[in-house]
Amino acid sequence: MTSSALAGYLIVSGLLLVIGVVGFLVRRNLIVMFLCTELMFQGAAIAFIAMGRYLFDYSGQVMVIFILTVAAAEAALALALVVLMHRQGDSLDADAFAELTE
Amino acid sequence: MDMFLPYIACLTFALALYAALRPSPITVRVGMIAVAVAAAGWLLGLVAGSLSAFADASQGVFFVIFSLCAIASALRMITHDQPIYSALFFVLVVIATAGLFVLLEAEFMAFALVIVYAGAILITYMFVLMLANQATSQDEPDTQAAYDRIPREPAAAVAVGFLLLCLISGTVIKGTDVSIPGNLPAPGNPQAQWATLEHLSVQFEREVAELDPDFAWPPVSDEAGNSIHIEGTEVFIIAEDGSTLVLPDSMLPRNTQQVGWSLVNDFPVSLELAGVILLMAMFGAAIIARRAIELGEQEKRRVLLGEVSKSEDLS
Repeated sequence: MTSSALAGYLIVSGLLLVIGVVGFLVRRNLIVMFLCTELMFQGAAIAFIAMGRYLFDYSGQVMVIFILTVAAAEAALALALVVLMHRQGDSLDADAFAELTE
Repeated sequence: MDMFLPYIACLTFALALYAALRPSPITVRVGMIAVAVAAAGWLLGLVAGSLSAFADASQGVFFVIFSLCAIASALRMITHDQPIYSALFFVLVVIATAGLFVLLEAEFMAFALVIVYAGAILITYMFVLMLANQATSQDEPDTQAAYDRIPREPAAAVAVGFLLLCLISGTVIKGTDVSIPGNLPAPGNPQAQWATLEHLSVQFEREVAELDPDFAWPPVSDEAGNSIHIEGTEVFIIAEDGSTLVLPDSMLPRNTQQVGWSLVNDFPVSLELAGVILLMAMFGAAIIARRAIELGEQEKRRVLLGEVSKSEDLS
């Protein structure tokens, strides 16, 4: 694997990360916001695996296993919160979370 | 001038992303996404050079297809009005990423990604979306919630994204430029990969026996305890009677074995912690989303008086 190919993979991972960040900031639906965090995880995973492949080091892939773990845990907790929010306010608007501070 | 071309590509990408996020007719938005994907492809071309950067041309072609597919569906995901479609486009992103993983010779992670992400996590998202979303129809867009139809003003977010993208691409371009001396670490040595085979001793012995039934097991190991010797491209083991056996590349442990070995050998504590995190997340989710049972006046009185029998309690 040449360094140019590595650069290509890293740019793809960066693009996915940036799209995730923009989506997280722009969208107002809570579920879509959490999907955008998953998109950022994808970007990180590509970077890990590309670097691991370049360096012949399998720790990169092990890190992706941990990313999957964190993503699964995050999805479970976040979706539980979303269900709770929806039950109380019948809305998935992220701005509605401001009401919780009262 | 050459130095600025990647940043111009980033700027084009950001402007197209901004236009795609603005409320406008669907054709305009899809067109803008196409422009953004083209800009991303341009950026990739500038960074990776040509298809010759890859092991062979078909790999390069697949890389372009999968990466542009991932970027296009990611863009459509954050611009789509309906959360259900966003989730489905995210499945497409996951599958394209799995394709990239296969290109990177990480087959196990590719399959795990499809199974865990597309199969499990996304289904959970779909469940909650179906649960929480009011029924909508294509014919009456007004029935959709306002917070889905009208996103926030994207200018600031796109500016942040543009700066982040410039930073990342600038760093990547500088960091992978081999003309700068001492820039990239030398790629790792295959010794570490062969070392895994030594630890998988049963498999090692079986494969050596298949290769050469006459080989006197076990092989001699040097002072460091390595029995697999590497000289140049030759990989061989030495028996006690002095005969050598050259190991073919096909004996290298496969990707899945290497990852499994790395996982339990290098990160045992992290593995346990990951298990604990998953358990805690399960408890947390169950406790957060638990619905408190509402009791009417009559039931409350009966509970207070201790009149509720076991069977009624369960209902």
